[in-house]
Amino acid sequence: MIKDFVKGLWRENPVFVQVLGMCPTLAVTTKCVFGLSMGLATTFVIVSSVVVISTIRKLVPEQVRIPMFTVIIATFVTAADYFLKANFFEISKALGPYIPLIVVNCVILGRAEAFASKHGVARSFLDAFGMGIGFTCALVVLGAVREVLGAGTVFGYPVMWEGFTNWIVMVMPAGAFITLGLLVGVFNIVDKRVKSK
Amino acid sequence: MPGDNIKKIFENTIVKVIVALAIVGAVSGATLVFVYNYAMPKILVNIARETEKGIKNIFPEAAEINDSEIKGLYDIADDTGKIVGYAFLAEGNGYQGTIKLISGIDANATQLKGMEVLESQETPGLGAEITTKKFKSQFINLSITHPIEYLKNRKPEKDYQIEAITGATISSRAVVNILNKRVEEIRKELKK
Amino acid sequence: MVGLILIFIAASITNNFVLTYFLGICPFIGVSNKVESAIGLGVATTFVMTMAATVTWLIYHYILVPFNLVFLQYVTFIIVIASFVQFVEMFIRKVSPPLYKALGIFLPLITTNCAILGLTLFMILRNYSFLESVIFGLGAGVGFTIALVVMAGIREELVFSDVPEPLKGAGITLIIAGMLALAFMGFGGIISG
Repeated sequence: MIKDFVKGLWRENPVFVQVLGMCPTLAVTTKCVFGLSMGLATTFVIVSSVVVISTIRKLVPEQVRIPMFTVIIATFVTAADYFLKANFFEISKALGPYIPLIVVNCVILGRAEAFASKHGVARSFLDAFGMGIGFTCALVVLGAVREVLGAGTVFGYPVMWEGFTNWIVMVMPAGAFITLGLLVGVFNIVDKRVKSK
Repeated sequence: MPGDNIKKIFENTIVKVIVALAIVGAVSGATLVFVYNYAMPKILVNIARETEKGIKNIFPEAAEINDSEIKGLYDIADDTGKIVGYAFLAEGNGYQGTIKLISGIDANATQLKGMEVLESQETPGLGAEITTKKFKSQFINLSITHPIEYLKNRKPEKDYQIEAITGATISSRAVVNILNKRVEEIRKELKK
Repeated sequence: MVGLILIFIAASITNNFVLTYFLGICPFIGVSNKVESAIGLGVATTFVMTMAATVTWLIYHYILVPFNLVFLQYVTFIIVIASFVQFVEMFIRKVSPPLYKALGIFLPLITTNCAILGLTLFMILRNYSFLESVIFGLGAGVGFTIALVVMAGIREELVFSDVPEPLKGAGITLIIAGMLALAFMGFGGIISG
């Protein structure tokens, strides 16, 4: 059971290994705090959708499985969107249209289809929770790298020496692609080291 | 047996598909109505609070904020009840997405009293500098009898000019254009 | 008229969906291995985008807004897009089996392409008129196709180059995408708000 949870953190990390859910990953990680909020919102949606889906999985007719999953996911995304707008107005403004785009985050539909539609509620929950946390961690790491180099801060606190020139390119789209590309490379190197030991 | 017929109907896939979709749709709709009713009042409060905060920044002397007779305008009165100016929202396209501003003019409609950015998706570190004090303060007491102009890498010479942010001319220009367009509309309305 | 042309150019080049909004990255990274299949997918996606923009605009302004159902926006939009993809798939299968064969595997993928949902959301956020929305959909599709084809062209050449082991696959693709994004930034500023 515990394996279901842990695999999302490293071995099957949705961002670094599966390279899924790219649009929120790249778009919102200009700052750590945005990455964290997006990660948590996605975790909420993936966990609740997967719990519902695995509960009703035997009642769902085969032909309309995907549309039904999508509707369920879209419902939770709308709920998350309204919740953020009501309680975390500033963050919701900063994330803008990328919150509704959680609907088409392939990580969620992927877990629903590949795991929740075949397993019980408890295991599906752990699987989704692990994926959600793995996704969140990846976003925070990417956000941290981009924020440190691009603005000299982490979670808004200055960490670089005085006179440090911000690498503006890091907070621009190009920086997002290149940073993630290099992080994937670093991840592969570390992963290989761990495995060979 | 009638019972068998009903059973048969339910075994029919198309019916099953429709029933399943209808149930999911209904449950989803009901959930969202509930969420909407919970969140909407809070969202409206957030928006109102943000507008008020923006207005208070532009008109520190504001004691009363009322909807004006002219649509989209707020009457700003000081504590003696005298109208000191009008606040308004304005929006348009920036470099990356929509920029939403709140701004205000004095009672004679000759000067801008200031500008606050409510929403923008400009590039952090470049275009997002439009939200900094350094840029915003240029709009305080800016003359609007002439359309606002922006200068690149030069200090303003006339009272209707501002200096654009280095490396973010497009965002600066967007703010100026949004304001010019809206101010012109408002000045026309106020003259009536 | 000028406004429409500007929207088209902005959506297709200066604010390219893939390279500035990060929309539609999944097929961009996964599918763009061959120029030919990239063109196929691009054309199919452009078609779905244009149609989705048209239909969701009508639904939003004539059903959701008048009946105060805006909170159903995301659910409705995704259903429209999913059924549209389904419809396009059936239509192409009936009308032109060879085309269906050529596009076959890419068609179902279009639903989970976030560029399409993103397009409909941006269109509502920016208050585009009906005609503007249709052009916006078309432009975004063309932009997606351009990015996909350019990427596929580069990746075809990449086969012959010596990529460091850990960067093979997704890593190098992302880095190339970053360089493309830099190149496309050069177009920025042609069009202003």
